[in-house]
Amino acid sequence: MGLSSMNTIEVLSLTKRFERKDDGKKRPFAAVDSIDLAVEEGELFGLLGPNGAGKTTLIKMLCTLILPDEGRALVNGFDIVKEAEKVRASIGWLHGETGGRALYWRLSARDNLRFYASLQNVPPDVAEKRIDALLDFFDMTEEASTLVKDFSTGMKVKTMLARTLLPNPPILMMDEPTVGLDAATAVETRKLLKALSTDLGRTILFTSHNMFEVERLCTRIAIMNSGKIVAIDTPLRLSEISKEIKAVEVRISEIADSKILDLFQGLKGVQKVVKTEIGEDYSLIQVQVEDEQEAIATMPEFLQEKGLNVISIQRALPTLEDVYMKLTRKST
Amino acid sequence: MSVSSILGLFREEAPRLKSTFRQIYAVVWANLMIFFSYKYSVITDLLSMAASIFMYYFMGLQVDPTQLSSRGYGQSYIAFALVGVATSQYLWICLSRLSHVIQHDIRGGTLETVAVTQIKMGVYFIGQTIRGYLISLISLFGTFAVGLFALGVTLQINVYTIATTVTTFLLMIVANQAIGFMTAGIVMVYKRGDPVTFILAGLNEFLSGVLYPLELLQQFPIVYWMARIFPYTYALDAMRKSLIGGATILSPDVYFDLTMLIIFSVVLLPIGLKVLQRGYNVIRKNGTMATY
Amino acid sequence: MKTPELINFLKEVPVSGREASVLEKVYAFVVRDFRTWWTYKLWVSIDILGTLMFVVSYYFVSKIVTTTSLEAAGYGTDYLTFAVIGVAFQQYVFSSVSTLSESIRGEQWDGTMETILSSKTNFRVFLLGESVFRFIMGSYFLVTALLVGEAIGVKITTNLGSILSAAIMTMLLITSHMIVGILSAALILKVKEGDPIVWSFSWLTQLFSGVLYPLNLLPSQISWIGAIFPLTYSLDGIRRCLTVEATIFSPIVAEDIVKLAIFIVVSLPIALKAFKAAYDSTRSDGSLGQY
Repeated sequence: MGLSSMNTIEVLSLTKRFERKDDGKKRPFAAVDSIDLAVEEGELFGLLGPNGAGKTTLIKMLCTLILPDEGRALVNGFDIVKEAEKVRASIGWLHGETGGRALYWRLSARDNLRFYASLQNVPPDVAEKRIDALLDFFDMTEEASTLVKDFSTGMKVKTMLARTLLPNPPILMMDEPTVGLDAATAVETRKLLKALSTDLGRTILFTSHNMFEVERLCTRIAIMNSGKIVAIDTPLRLSEISKEIKAVEVRISEIADSKILDLFQGLKGVQKVVKTEIGEDYSLIQVQVEDEQEAIATMPEFLQEKGLNVISIQRALPTLEDVYMKLTRKST
Repeated sequence: MSVSSILGLFREEAPRLKSTFRQIYAVVWANLMIFFSYKYSVITDLLSMAASIFMYYFMGLQVDPTQLSSRGYGQSYIAFALVGVATSQYLWICLSRLSHVIQHDIRGGTLETVAVTQIKMGVYFIGQTIRGYLISLISLFGTFAVGLFALGVTLQINVYTIATTVTTFLLMIVANQAIGFMTAGIVMVYKRGDPVTFILAGLNEFLSGVLYPLELLQQFPIVYWMARIFPYTYALDAMRKSLIGGATILSPDVYFDLTMLIIFSVVLLPIGLKVLQRGYNVIRKNGTMATY
Repeated sequence: MKTPELINFLKEVPVSGREASVLEKVYAFVVRDFRTWWTYKLWVSIDILGTLMFVVSYYFVSKIVTTTSLEAAGYGTDYLTFAVIGVAFQQYVFSSVSTLSESIRGEQWDGTMETILSSKTNFRVFLLGESVFRFIMGSYFLVTALLVGEAIGVKITTNLGSILSAAIMTMLLITSHMIVGILSAALILKVKEGDPIVWSFSWLTQLFSGVLYPLNLLPSQISWIGAIFPLTYSLDGIRRCLTVEATIFSPIVAEDIVKLAIFIVVSLPIALKAFKAAYDSTRSDGSLGQY
């Protein structure tokens, strides 16, 4: 894949290596391992992956905070190494620090935003208008003059979000944009991000651990693991990967402990227990099986013989989470 | 405000207004606001500054005046000490302020946030150092005020001596700030700088004759010549000759000191800036801008 | 470990045992602080260098000072010894007390304050634990300063009785200043700022406690202020013991001891009450973890 001017973010064989101690010796490892990626203008692009997959390192390279070891990337047509200043003029970055420590705690929300606006060369009159609007949007007008040190976590996150949006850049890079927000604000923030993308053509690249959010918002998703992109496609097409996974969901009225789960493991045709959800008076167990229909036919009787009360059993609907789990090889 | 209203606002084009001055102003202003939000610290800093001058005054009552006058420093120990105590604060600011700011910003996560904006990091660092100088002006003037008005210290104050002192002082700042840039560059990479800045500033203050005439070090030639490698030694000597002895830029007494300061500034400043720039590039290369 | 296995593990009845004693908890603080301190090895060397510098700088100051006032005050004729003892002990208590408040500030900043105070550890034990290592390190540097001073001309007595008397006065000095540290910790807990009590204490004692000059040099209108500070009596007693071979049985030193004891007995309960009040107040307004 060569670099093309059609995309706002283009990554070609981008690599970043660090060292870590392994058995007392320092060994190099690739936090980002020869990644290729292209994000079109106006895309809402999700970046998923477990902790340590390399998502933050990739985003920081695109934001010019980290220099790559190999490869190239263009952001808004500018090289991240040779034209770093122009890249920074094109982006807004939301820090992944959800504790709000990346704010000045001894300044008010408004002063934090004014300071940032000055550094981003936003004209003063435009900055004031945007600050008022963003504080109003995040329901923080009354707290605008309160020092950040007196804010709750959610208010700090909202301040950081406002700061990211303030310069109105064509590209937004966001690390977990809705973590720490209350449900209502999270809903409004998602609506705003969607609208910025579809109505104003802003390109948004964000990381998240919230499958629901990613599935519903993103035009495309990349799943990273161990520094590599293991899958990249629309949410719908990615979900179809999990159709290879045959699974059934069994709801029982008992609380599933290890003994009960061992029973499932012992069933003929069961490959593994994928996940367990414990409710007040039920347990929902999803198991991978060789043959779904046979499992549905035989499992209830077997479980009832073992003294369990089976409320229901059905074919498990594949989700993005299943894909993610399959591709990143973890299970709950 | 609704999503559609926000969109309407962001639909408007508003070209960026590039202004380095505005960026520096923003950095200075924000950090001054933060400084003054610590009300107790501001008051205690002022009080401790005043108290230290009184302390040296009483200590000076034990000093044999001939020990100073025979070396050309007048008869008053408090006048002698006042110049040193007032200006040594700037020594610490120049040598260590930027290192502390960087460490604080790294710990707080704000260094990365600033690094992603359109401000050049050099401009940001300049803003931070200016803030340090401005705050220390309070203590500088306050120290002199206490000495002159509360303790009746007599200094040679006229247009020429003030001009000489200010020139010397500015050269002192440039030369020492260059060293401060070097230590800041080192601190950025190695994340621990307090030992480095402490040795530098502490040795500097100890060897430059803040509390005693430099000539006393002559009985230990190595130590005496070590004192000569610090720009502050020359600055302090020239300022004392001016404020106590009445010397000006036109006096041969201060030629040597001013010449040395100019040489230090010209040589050290480019090196300091390079080390600082290199330090920043290294942390971007290593990906350690947020680690501490 | 999967969820059900972890649940089963946690269900098991914990092995019962005795609660750790105060000494064991304090020891845990000391071990924590020692390990942290040891990671800053370079700092240790630098601190020694700093000690060396201040002692040596007063060597040079002593070359230009006359000793008339010292003799009149009964401290002998050696300014270097007078100054080194003054600065060494003043720095000793100041650094021990200020690092206590700095470590509390650090706990607030790092978020570990709440973790500790929500554990089974009583706040008095917490204060004691935070203080002990600092005083151990302070003692280490005090001894270093005196040894360096000896090397460059400080004259300290070798009379055992005098040395023991000085040690007793030093213990009283430490105890009285822990009280200052507790008061400052109370203020930091509440106010979350840098430390007005410790910093005020520092410059006030330098000015009024006879650190660098005998108190007979102060005008009578202000010389009485030194009577408020335990450092004044401590320095007076320690100097007399170490330079003119006084002991705790000497009238002036005995008087200093009595005054120190009164200070400790009166102010220790007040300081502990103040810390408890600040602690309860921050728990009440929810600001214990703020910084």
